[in-house]
Amino acid sequence: MEENKKAHLLDLKLPLGGLLCFYGLIMVVYGLFSGKDAYEKSLGININLFWGALILVIGAALLLSSFRKPRPRKT
Amino acid sequence: MGPVVSLHLIDYAIIGGYILVMVVVGYSLKKYMRTGEDFFLSGRSLPGWITGLAFLSANLGALEVIGMVANSAKYGIMTVHFYWVGAIPAMIFLGIFMMPFYYGSRVKTVPEYLKLRYNEATRGLNAISFAIMTVLMSGVSLYAMALLFKLMLGWSLTGSILFAAVVVLLYVFWGGLSSSIYNEVIQFFLIWLGLLPLVFLGLRNIGGFAGLAQKLPEAFLHSWKHLGSAAQNPLGIEWMGVILGLGFVLSFGYWTTDFLVVQRALASKSLAASRMTPIIAAFPKMLVPIIVVIPGLVAVAVLPEFSQSAAQTGEYNSALILLMSHYLPNGVLGLAITALLASFMSGMAGNVTAFNTVWTYDIYGTYIKKGRPDKHYLNVGKYTTVAGVLISVGTAYIVQSFPNLMDYMQLIFSFFNAPLFATFLLGMFWRGATPWGGFFGLLSGIGIAALHYVLYKTGVIHYTSEMGANFYQAWWAWLTDFVVTIGVSLFTKKKAIAELRGLVYGLSPKEKGAIKFYLRPEVWGSVALIATLALNFIFW
Repeated sequence: MEENKKAHLLDLKLPLGGLLCFYGLIMVVYGLFSGKDAYEKSLGININLFWGALILVIGAALLLSSFRKPRPRKT
Repeated sequence: MGPVVSLHLIDYAIIGGYILVMVVVGYSLKKYMRTGEDFFLSGRSLPGWITGLAFLSANLGALEVIGMVANSAKYGIMTVHFYWVGAIPAMIFLGIFMMPFYYGSRVKTVPEYLKLRYNEATRGLNAISFAIMTVLMSGVSLYAMALLFKLMLGWSLTGSILFAAVVVLLYVFWGGLSSSIYNEVIQFFLIWLGLLPLVFLGLRNIGGFAGLAQKLPEAFLHSWKHLGSAAQNPLGIEWMGVILGLGFVLSFGYWTTDFLVVQRALASKSLAASRMTPIIAAFPKMLVPIIVVIPGLVAVAVLPEFSQSAAQTGEYNSALILLMSHYLPNGVLGLAITALLASFMSGMAGNVTAFNTVWTYDIYGTYIKKGRPDKHYLNVGKYTTVAGVLISVGTAYIVQSFPNLMDYMQLIFSFFNAPLFATFLLGMFWRGATPWGGFFGLLSGIGIAALHYVLYKTGVIHYTSEMGANFYQAWWAWLTDFVVTIGVSLFTKKKAIAELRGLVYGLSPKEKGAIKFYLRPEVWGSVALIATLALNFIFW
């Protein structure tokens, strides 16, 4: 009981990375399937596609760093 | 006026994803909340990067984003003073000089420090005024959100208020400060990811900074150049007022004594991490003008209808949402709305957690039921969360009568926070400050702030702008507190040196074990300060 009290809470990178991956994915997919006229506002740039891709990369990096290193047990 | 934008399924999916993650995070933190310290201070276990980002985001709430974009549309690049003058120096000062006393003395709250350093009365005065102010701010946050969603999406005021209140209530009730901090870190990412597309598209559309410079009046393009006299610049205040009122008093009063932000640093896992917290926050803070000042300038340049009607009514708060509807297609639009939603909710959650901590430890645990077991206070904290949310909902309806939310916020700060910094400065760095000196200094500072406000409102004292009045009010309140504290201290009984150990400069044990050079708060603080100076010169 006592020793994992300080195994400090939940790893924040997990929900954060997960959320960003979800955002990245749906934005990329939406970007791929939405027509050109959806991007009149954004000066003709398919911003969902490339911004979604960037978010996906950030999200994946966070998830990866959360999975790769099992937290060392504190004494 | 009908809703400005319409949302598609993708936008709702993005908003829904955020809400879901917040509730799940809150729920999964529930099992870690075993003691009062877990609930109120995250068990003092968080690493510096998390508390640092939370420290920044706790302040980057609803009012900050919308209010600062509005300020930028109204005052131009001078808005950067709220960051480079009005935040960074104080944050660095907190990290380098003040955190050792806050964290080192193991206090749970800012008012508790006042109790140890001065006396019960000083703590009471601060705890009660802070609790009231925090609940007000929470209501302001809620109201701002509901108004935004009404204007933007056509959602009903009451509906948004109740929905946000329930979500915030759930995750704070389960996870306490940890929920709040986790939400703030998530918000930090969302706000950048949500608003940068707007900055990118706006600048691309208008032809970068050169294009912006062509479309805007000259006074909008400089931060210092036109601060020679109050009449020459849109802010209506001169450099002296900016430096004394904003840069010195308001800024230090807020960043170094407001429990809302200090609480984040107290949740750090070590003294070193707590000192790095505000310094880590200073770096992204320096860059926040990218996502608030640029959109404000772009709004003035590309939305002629907005700038005309705003100039007539003085109502600039719609700048951000109009710009969002102008540039953002569905998808990134949902992301930007989620970023705002996140900053509203975390603003409210932050206020509610600070409120429940101060209420539980400094008011309930001191005046109502003293010396109960820890478990009792944990439960009180949880139920105070419910009460805090309910009061916020009520307050949300009160703040509607104030036109510029940002000025309102400054007003509240200058009543309570401005004099407080004098009390802390003397308390931490002058061992001669006595308990009653602290109390009467603080009381008279608040009194002068209120008096100044009355004199200004009744026309006895005149300033070029409301902002100018706020800055000077803060300055006079601070000075009064400073002088009265010293004056009263000369004639009242001092505390014994033994009682001040760990609380006052020169009476604290030296930190043991040298930290590596490149990890020292002093080093990073200096880097941040130099970078800020450079920014001031670049945008002179």
